[in-house]
Order: sequence, then C-alpha cells, then structure tokens
Amino acid sequence: MSTGAETPPLPDEPDRLVLHARDVEFDWSSLDLHWIPGEPFATHVINVLHLLLPEGERWFVEVFKQAVPHITDEELRQQVLGFIGQEAVHAEAHAGVLDHMDAHGLDPTPYVEQIAWMFRVVLGDRDLDGRREWAWLRTRLAVIAGIEHYTAVLGQWVLDARKLDEAGADATMLDLLRWHGAEEVEHRAVAYDLFMHLDGGYPRRALAMGVAATALAVLWVRGVRFLVANDPYLRGRIGGQRPKARWALRDGRRGLIPHLSRLAGAIPEYLRRKYHPSQYGSTSQAVAYLATSPAARAAEAAEQGAHR
Amino acid sequence: MSGGYRGHVKHSSEYYARPRRPVSLTRGRGPDRFMLALERVARGIEPLTARLRPGHPIPEPEGERTVRVERVEHPAEGVAQLTLVPARPGETLPAWQPGQHVDVVLGGGVLRQYSLTGDPSDRSAYRIAVRRIPDGVGSGLVHGLREGDTIGLRGPRNAFPFTRAERYLFVAGGIGITPILPMVLSAHRAAVPARTVYTGRSRATMPFADLLPGEVSVRPDDECGPPDPAAIVEGLTPGTAVYVCGPSPLIEAVRARTPEGTPFFSERFAPAPVVDGEPFEVQLGEDGPVVPIPADESALEVMRRVRPATAYSCRQGFCGTCRLTLLSGEADHRDRPTGGSPRGEEFAPCVSRAAGGERLVLDV
Repeated sequence: MSTGAETPPLPDEPDRLVLHARDVEFDWSSLDLHWIPGEPFATHVINVLHLLLPEGERWFVEVFKQAVPHITDEELRQQVLGFIGQEAVHAEAHAGVLDHMDAHGLDPTPYVEQIAWMFRVVLGDRDLDGRREWAWLRTRLAVIAGIEHYTAVLGQWVLDARKLDEAGADATMLDLLRWHGAEEVEHRAVAYDLFMHLDGGYPRRALAMGVAATALAVLWVRGVRFLVANDPYLRGRIGGQRPKARWALRDGRRGLIPHLSRLAGAIPEYLRRKYHPSQYGSTSQAVAYLATSPAARAAEAAEQGAHR
Repeated sequence: MSGGYRGHVKHSSEYYARPRRPVSLTRGRGPDRFMLALERVARGIEPLTARLRPGHPIPEPEGERTVRVERVEHPAEGVAQLTLVPARPGETLPAWQPGQHVDVVLGGGVLRQYSLTGDPSDRSAYRIAVRRIPDGVGSGLVHGLREGDTIGLRGPRNAFPFTRAERYLFVAGGIGITPILPMVLSAHRAAVPARTVYTGRSRATMPFADLLPGEVSVRPDDECGPPDPAAIVEGLTPGTAVYVCGPSPLIEAVRARTPEGTPFFSERFAPAPVVDGEPFEVQLGEDGPVVPIPADESALEVMRRVRPATAYSCRQGFCGTCRLTLLSGEADHRDRPTGGSPRGEEFAPCVSRAAGGERLVLDV
C-alpha cells in the first residue's frame, strides 16, 4: 500500500453522492399553528415555504421529466432522476402542513391557488412547439437552477439554525425543515449541472435568476401578509400592529429566520461566472443530519424491512 | 413496502390542477395585479429567450471506462478479489472515497454494483471483492474473469457517504467488509478513534480480517455464536458515527439499537424483489408496442429497456415519478397514492402489476 501523501486521510466532503428519495412521514396532530412559541411573525415567515413549495416542487418535477430524454450523460441522468424523486416527496410533505393549517382555521387555498396558476399557466408549457418549446424548456431549467441556489442557501441556514431549537420550535417541524434542507444541500448541484449540460448560456442563466429572485421576494412578502391576515388568532395584527418590514430584520438578527442580507447576497454569488453550487453549503453536514433525522431514519428502516 | 394508505391529502396536486385566474388576495375579488404582471413578463420574455443561444452544444455521450483485470486473488473461501487497472496505459482512474462503489458492466449487459475496497490512497488501481453466490448471475460472471480480461466500469458513485466524526463504530457482516475496510484504514490514518466489529460465518470465509488496524473484534459465528447487536452498540458515546454493512437483519438490528441523535449510516439497497408477481403485458400507448412483463421483474425495468429515457425515481412506489395514465386494463396497484393520484386512473410501473395474462394499456 502506498503512503497516500497527496490524498487526505478523511474526505472533507463526500462527493459523487447517489441521490435517492426518502419515504418520510410526519405526524402533525400535536403541531401548534404558531410552532415557534410566542413568535407568530417568524413562524409565518417560514410558513411561506409551505405555501410555495408544494406547487413549486411539483412544477420542478414536471419540467425535469421533460428534460430527462435530452440528457446525454448517464451520471447526470441518474442524479436528475434522484432529484425528481426527492422533490416529489418534498412537495407532498409540505402539502401535509397545508392540510394542517386548513384544519386549524387558516385555509391557504387562495394563496396557493395563485402559486398553482403561476407555475402551471405562466411557467407551464405555453403551447409552444419546435425551437421555442425547446428554448422555453431551457429557460425554465435556468429558473429552477436559480431557485435551487436559494433552496440550498435556505437548507444550509436551517441546518445551522440553533436559535430555532433554543426558541423551542416544534421538533417535528424542525425535522421536516432540516430533512428537506439537507436534501436540498445534498442535491444542490443537480439543477445547475443540468442547465449547464443542456444550455450553459450566461445571459439566460442571469436573466432567469433576476426574474426568479425578484418574484420570490415579492411572493414572500405577500405570503407573510396573507398568513397574518388569515390567521384566526392574529386577524392581521401581531401585538396590535400590522406586520412591519423591520421585524424581518429583527428576527433575522435573532436567528429565527434567514437574514435578508444573506438572501440578497445569494444573487451576486450566483451571478459570478465561476459559480458552482458545490462552493456553498456542506454536504457532510447534510448527510450527517440525514443520518440522524427521525423521519429519514424511520423511512430507511421501513425500506430495509421490505428486503427481508 | 413501508406502509399502507397515507390518508387523504386535501391540498394535493389534483386539488390545484385547474387553478382559477388569480383573484386579488386582499379584496377577495377582482384581478390580482402582481400575478397578471408576472404573466405579462413571461409572455414578453419567452420569445426573447428563444433567441438566446446556448453556451455550447449538448455534449456527446461518453461510454463507460474500460479496465483490465490485472490480478485475481482469493482472500477467503468463495471470495474473488479483482485488481482493476485502466485498459489504456497512461490513463488514471478517478479518485474515490471510502464507501463508494462502481457499476461493473459484465458480459451480456449484466450490470452490478460493487464497493471499492482496499486503500483509497492507492490511485493506480481499483479493487473489488465479490462473494460467489450459488446461482448468482453477477457473482458467477465475476468469478469467471481471468487476469487480462477487460470489463466496463461506471462511477465511482457514493451511496454510503463517509463523513468526518469524532469517533466511529464500524460493523461489517461477511462480504459487507468491502466498503468498511477503506473506512477503517482512513480513520486509522487520520488517528480518529474507531472500533470495528467484524462478523461472519467462519474465519475462513471472512476476507481482510488481518488488514484491519486499531481496535478490532473479529467474531465468526462458529466460534462466538450469532452476532449480538446489543453488545455491538454497547458503550456508544455521543459524537460517534455508526457505519454498518452486511446482511439486512444485522443492519436492522444495529439501527434499532442506535440511540436517537447518533448518526447511522448503512449502504443503500437495490429495490426490493417482486413478491407474488404473475406475468402480464403492458402496451405502451393505444397503438404502441406490447411488452411482456415476467413474473419476477417490474414493468418499469422492462419499459426502461424499451425506452431508456423513461422517467422514474424511487422504484418503491412512493414518489410518483413513473406514474402513467392507465387507459385500459385491470391493475393491481401496489404504490402509495401520494400527491393526488386518483386510484385506477394512473399506474405506477415500478411496483404495480396485474393478474396473470392481463394487458394494461398505458398512455406514454
């Protein structure tokens, strides 16, 4: 055996991961509508994810399925297939939270129906054919690559967010967010690699990120307003006041929600010519979380049981 | 499969399948100006982006790597270890990490996954070790290989990620030692405390027992009795990562006894074998070809051979990726109806089947 001087004895980051969906289940029967105790604003800032993700990730799946036949790299195809399954399970896991909100007097339908319209009509197939259909597919892949930079940033944030534990946030909700966040970090390069494989043009990538980041920012503000306005306990007011923009900065500083500067900083990061998703976030932290996550552990135990 | 019916989900894909034109959220009626503005942006941008040129053409597919069997050894009864080097001189093999495997392309298109074993710092060759399984197609082909033969390789890929930890517990059962050995060597070289438990039927059938450094307990069944999972995990301290590779019951038993909060890693498996399957037929489209599905194979596996670009993911019936509209025929649904898939209208070829002789027509 050689001395191995040039190879580090322990890998810094696991690479070439095989992606696979985990058949997770969450029991929301004891979840409080305000699952960060005493923090309805921060709770609803994060709850916007539950409004956006089910329809958003269903759309990712549809667009990616259209891309699969064009892929000429077998390794990338395998990663894309793994990504699709993970996204499909994410969508339904968050949809379960929507049902919970609904059952507790906060019907998310008006907002989510708009999101559904955006993804299914505005960002749908648009009845194109030929050259324009193919270009529209690549444009949508660029949009997904841009959004996936955000999901990776958010995923890494929630893996690191000790303040949520200290604030007594609901353990099952934290497991959902961290399982999802960990899978986002785990598969963070796939959408970018797929876009670079099928197109790779900088103007399309930059334009798509510009539109995606702007829309995401507006949707998030509208989502918080919607949730606070329709929350049966809040009825539009927290501590007698309508939600304020500075509360987002305050709760960001307190570590209960991602800080706005981190979210804004994601744009110039992504626009760097030499950007690659692997430069941000920690795969080892993600796989370590997945190895402890109660939901992921239960899913793997059940899967293994099927092999007996 | 892990469970039964997940229960009715209201906010399903089906529920949002035909969204209304956006209505203002604040007024509850009238158009939503922001959403309609987004539609105008998309309508304006779409023809514009159609004129943007791709950065490059789509790359040509690369075939698999060809490697030559440089050496065949038998480190234990019924175990063949192959040393594989690039078929073309001067080529190098990609670096790999402990836990990674390669896809080996054997004769007749048979594809098998084998863990890389040996020392990960040795970049000149790959090593795999394969136990001969009675009537096993893949292991039979590997054991038939001779020095100088060439085979195809894909990967390496990582389904058993080896991460940094303060301490390790490694548990190997039988040929499950192959991915564990490089982990033990790496941990030892990095001076990270580790304990290794190696079980197997008898010493003669257990390869590499003499190569394991550090605190090692080799426990052949014929000397020590069957493995005791409670004893294996005894004294686990916080900060220890547990890595297990071996037969399913061993993995399950160790997982069940690993405390919450302790990272547990086991290698991923191929999909569970078909249970109680009968041969049936699938027609790919109203006027499409009819393909026979054997009793012991999933419809998805057969469809992938006919159409390599078929989309699928979990292969266990829960993610919904491979579902297709069922045009006619009586299906035996074995998937979990997540995501608003109405029973009877869609068919999940990864797990669902039909009675013997039945023909299902799918919309592909």
